[in-house]
Amino acid sequence: MCLLMGQGNSGGWRFEGGATNQQYEKMAALSSEFGDLVQIKKQLISVISLCKERGLVHSVKWASELAFALKPLPMSELPPPPPLTKEDVEDLDALGLAKSYFDLKEYDRAAYFLRACRSKKAYFLYMYSRYLSGEKKKDDETVDSLGPLEKGQVRNEALRELRVELSKKHHAGELDGFTLYLYGVVLRKLDLLKEAVDVFVEATHALPLHWGAWLELCNLITNIEMLKSLSLPDCWIRDFFLAHMYTELQMIKEALQKYQSLIEAGFSKSTYIISQIAVAYHNIRDIDQALSLFNELREQDPYRIENMDTFSNLLYVRGMKPELSYLAHNLVEIDKYRVETCCVIGNYYSLRSQHEKAALYFQRALKLNPRCLGAWTLMGHEYMEMKNTSAAIQAYRHAIEVNKRDYRAWYGLGQTYEILKMHFYCLYYYRRAHQLRPNDSRMLVALGECYEKLSQLVEAKKCYWRAYSVGDVERMALLKLAKLHEQLNESDEAAHCYIIYIQDIFSCGELLEHVEVSTALRYLGQYYFKNKRYDEASLCAQRCCDYNDAREEGKALLRQISQVRDQGEASSADVSLPCVFGSLSNNNTPVRRVSPLDLSSVTP
Amino acid sequence: MASVHESLYFNPMMTNGVVHANVFGIKDWVTPYKIGVLVLLDEMTISKRMTLLERRRLNKLILPLQQGPDVTLQQLLKTVEECSPETAFAVKLRLHMMVAGELKDMESFFDTLPNPFSDAESEASKTSVVGLFMRHMLLAYNKLSFSQVYKLYTALQRYHDDYLGSQSDPPAGPAGDADMELSEMELTSTDDGPGGELEKEQQDAGPMQYSELLDEAPRRCPLSQKQAEYFLARQAYLLKNDENKALKPAALQEELNNMLKFNPDFAEAHYLSYLNSMRVQDVFISTHSLLHYFDRLILTGGDSKSNGDEGYGRSLRYAALNLAALHCRFGHYQQADLALQEAIRIAQESNDHVCLQHCLSWLYTLEQLKGSDSSVLTEDSVKMAAHFGLPYLASLGIQSLVQQGAIGGKAANMLMDALKDTDILHWKHSLSELIDISLAQTTSIWRMYGKSTMALQCSQVLLNMNSLEQVDFGVQQNNTEAFAVVLCHLAELHAEQGLFSAASEILKHLKERFPPHTQHAKLWMLCDLKIQFERAMNDGKYHLAEPHVTAIAALDQMEGLYRKALVMKAQNQTTDACRVLQRLQLLCEKTKRTEMIIRVMLTTAELHWESSSFSTALPVLLQALVLARQYHLQALASETILHLAFSQLMLGVPEQALNILHEAMEPILAHGALLDKGRALLLVAKCQMAVAGGRADRHTGLEQAVQTLDEAASYFSRLGCKERLRDTHYLQARLHHALGHTVQRNECALLFRLLDQELPPTRANFTNRL
Repeated sequence: MCLLMGQGNSGGWRFEGGATNQQYEKMAALSSEFGDLVQIKKQLISVISLCKERGLVHSVKWASELAFALKPLPMSELPPPPPLTKEDVEDLDALGLAKSYFDLKEYDRAAYFLRACRSKKAYFLYMYSRYLSGEKKKDDETVDSLGPLEKGQVRNEALRELRVELSKKHHAGELDGFTLYLYGVVLRKLDLLKEAVDVFVEATHALPLHWGAWLELCNLITNIEMLKSLSLPDCWIRDFFLAHMYTELQMIKEALQKYQSLIEAGFSKSTYIISQIAVAYHNIRDIDQALSLFNELREQDPYRIENMDTFSNLLYVRGMKPELSYLAHNLVEIDKYRVETCCVIGNYYSLRSQHEKAALYFQRALKLNPRCLGAWTLMGHEYMEMKNTSAAIQAYRHAIEVNKRDYRAWYGLGQTYEILKMHFYCLYYYRRAHQLRPNDSRMLVALGECYEKLSQLVEAKKCYWRAYSVGDVERMALLKLAKLHEQLNESDEAAHCYIIYIQDIFSCGELLEHVEVSTALRYLGQYYFKNKRYDEASLCAQRCCDYNDAREEGKALLRQISQVRDQGEASSADVSLPCVFGSLSNNNTPVRRVSPLDLSSVTP
Repeated sequence: MASVHESLYFNPMMTNGVVHANVFGIKDWVTPYKIGVLVLLDEMTISKRMTLLERRRLNKLILPLQQGPDVTLQQLLKTVEECSPETAFAVKLRLHMMVAGELKDMESFFDTLPNPFSDAESEASKTSVVGLFMRHMLLAYNKLSFSQVYKLYTALQRYHDDYLGSQSDPPAGPAGDADMELSEMELTSTDDGPGGELEKEQQDAGPMQYSELLDEAPRRCPLSQKQAEYFLARQAYLLKNDENKALKPAALQEELNNMLKFNPDFAEAHYLSYLNSMRVQDVFISTHSLLHYFDRLILTGGDSKSNGDEGYGRSLRYAALNLAALHCRFGHYQQADLALQEAIRIAQESNDHVCLQHCLSWLYTLEQLKGSDSSVLTEDSVKMAAHFGLPYLASLGIQSLVQQGAIGGKAANMLMDALKDTDILHWKHSLSELIDISLAQTTSIWRMYGKSTMALQCSQVLLNMNSLEQVDFGVQQNNTEAFAVVLCHLAELHAEQGLFSAASEILKHLKERFPPHTQHAKLWMLCDLKIQFERAMNDGKYHLAEPHVTAIAALDQMEGLYRKALVMKAQNQTTDACRVLQRLQLLCEKTKRTEMIIRVMLTTAELHWESSSFSTALPVLLQALVLARQYHLQALASETILHLAFSQLMLGVPEQALNILHEAMEPILAHGALLDKGRALLLVAKCQMAVAGGRADRHTGLEQAVQTLDEAASYFSRLGCKERLRDTHYLQARLHHALGHTVQRNECALLFRLLDQELPPTRANFTNRL
């Protein structure tokens, strides 16, 4: 079924001569949709074997997952193994020996036996072993360095030599897709980012199916303009890359579209895509969608550990203790020394308010992988719960160091300083967070609250209004705005805000915060009464009586209204005044437009 | 894949989420340099045939060597060589042996090291400075793991090799050498050329390579903890005292970024980055760095979680205060106000009086900057600061009060007394910075009062004073604001006396000391422009003065408006000038700049003269006189009297004019500018002529006037004020004619004729001016 749906996707499925590798040139554009997927599967199978021979395990994993999602090929369709060249045959034994050493992490030994080989495959493995050997030594060195300042300076000594050799070959044009990728990695490690991007782009052109090169490229692209400026090979894998990139750049809508079209094109069984979509939903806080997807994922792939930390975040937000507990225990059984497992356990303890233990597990996660961004931020949250603000600040700062674009860490820093009652000080941090997520109402509400505390009411109003305009998550912005107007004696504006608030609440059908609803009704009742619109006022007062805390006032107001009516005062027919219930049907209530959030005037 | 091996920023010493900056407890690490010092010490204890003088020199060297930052072997040997060449040679030899040999040579060195202080008689006994150092080193050495020892040895070898490399002339050796190629590669990271030759060319070509070099240098020889501290301290000191000598902003930022890349916990670097970006007025980076610094500081001082006097709570308070200061410096007064209120609130909550005092002093500064009266606040601040024993803040407050008082017209003796009292305080606590400010302030006050001699003296005192601060980092002179202010005054004073070459000399010096991009450069720019403007106006070259007006207005709006009015008046655009003056007066009254108000009034009076309505000028002038006297502005008062006298002369009461002129003559001749002197004398002569005109002893009166005119002429000629000189010569010629001195008359007439030809056709009403 899904194969037929491939028709819907038009772009990016043609294969044109971007690939230099002979095998891929043969596979150039096939028109029929069915053949399309078969070709993809064939490509995947051959790239899996290529990567496997070179020890690129993560790319193998990705490609295999994708290949698994596609229909199995009949015997006849299976791609033949790539033909051996003369050099390959010569190097066969050395390569086999070296590969076995390589698999056992004896990199220097592997490199030693490969030094005389001339085939491209052997050359890549030779260079890659040297690179990994340098990395391994670097890691070992960090533990016994010669002093505290030296600890950051431990470097992979092999990098420079590798760069010299690779750049020579690069100039000579002797690098194939895999070695180009390695060259890019070396450049990135040497902080030569611009050059690295160019080389990675070249690598994707040379060998589009190697996912590792795309992933590296993904880490180096910082904004959408940069992405647009790159000339990428026109290959189906590019859509996977773009979708991934959009998720990274917080362009969730585009990412979801992309993934949807991929699913429609026939990858509906791919766990990779499902997990990516779930993460995307998590990022836009569509919790229900994300939860259902994750549950589906776990059904299909019960021993999966990747992305389970995100799943646990969702469970945490929903407060689903039993599910979280089940997940945690399950993961511990699979592998307890994984970053994701530790994060899940941390979340579990946090939900049980055992914050010390939670922090402990986040620390363990960080020991397993210090660049694990989420753990730093989550640890910061735990320290906040434990009121250990200094440790919280430290954790958040670390998170920012790892990734400057982590809005949660900025927001957390802001919250920390807010707890320390430094409202002006935290403005800076909230503003940073807001910059990174301009359409997230939480930052705006936080900003508004700070401004309110600093008696900068104009700015506060702007923030609240903006928070409402971008879709308020917690439905607090309007209420706060209304109260602000109330304070400033701007009764018309206050009434407007209350009206929209009540409309919002009632249209949702949830009556959660009825205290606030009653406040709104009470205010509106008084407001209409003052403006002599007794019908609306009595309506409000009647509604007031539904709530315990406002019942007395509602009754009092009703009595007042009847008194006034007895005296024969006519109700004002001023149509310009808005009405709650009359306008429940039409949504275009005229509300005074507060000028859109213009923080530039206050941003230093 | 690569990401598996990522291990950056992982710190195994993290406990409870807080990384302790000094995790290892000891700061001392055995470095190659330290081994060099140890060898030197060992050599000193062993060798017996050292002369006494050499030994003494070496002994003096020990402490700085032990405590100073690591230096290269070349520098180390050079310093030792200056004291004792033989010892230097011995050290070199021993190090060479150690490096040329094997690891065991180094090990045996450390084995035999403790011998000298095993006997109690030795100079290097256990408790001496040297003994302590040796034991520290031994302890640190013994703590090293197996691989660390080997690393130390290779580091030592590299250290020695670097020295050898620097000894032999850096040749353009064979490029086939692997090492050379490596370094070449590093230099040309943008290499696109296929061959080595092209790379070489690129190396010479672009400015790109320079930044690469900069980037590369610290990477090759990473800074040690102490070196980094030394670097930061030095740069911070230079930024404060002599910006010229500090690294250029971009280069400094590069260094800092490097340092932070290696050690993100090095909080001070963030602070320096804040200072550095303040220099280039970059509000974003400076805010970012400041907040980052305090976030980090909170961690390092985070031992006590209490909000008490020490540690964490304290840095929070100062964080808010510093943020206020930052906004204040960038002129965001509203933001500054909010931040300051926050700082005050937190400080109050935790009863931190010292912090509160700092807040208070910022508060009055802020109020002052906003232009409102803050003397009450300042007084409070001074009182409280004195109470809490904070001399710096107290005298800073007093200085601020004095400044406000001087502008507000407080009695001069009170101000001087206050300054004297603070000076005593400064000397007692040796607050050299405040002494400088105090002297500069005195200079300014004298200058404002119109006592040029006193101002001159004060400025010379400051310029000739030896700085109290120890001479650090080879910075002899403090390039602070006080010096800039005093030098500007000096330049203006010289220009007033017609010593233009001296003035331009001073300005040249100012330009060198405070290059245009530095923060105090605006002072001399304004001063330079004013002097040039005055010269152009005196010369009668109004078209030259006009461009200066726009430049002045850019630096000081009101001054610019005033000068604009002057140019307009000179060019006979009377109505325009009048309009500008009226606007200016309103502005001045709002900002309470009394000096400017008086000057505006004087110019307004001159405008009245232009329309020959001398009597209407009188009330304005009288008002100006009252103001000038009230604020003790003697120079302006004298000038007002000149104006009054002139009005009286023109109204036909020269006797009265002469009478009041006598009052003004003395201060003008004593303190006034050359121009004022000349104008005063010319006026006197005119009055004398007018008085003599109707009297019996006309002859003697005219003789007197001739003498006065001679003097005036000499002043004008020194000033190069040609228009006035021409007028004077004209009057002289007329007088000589009346007195019958034909020869002198012809002489003066000739002079007049020459000047008249040179100058553009005169305006009709030249008599209508002072």
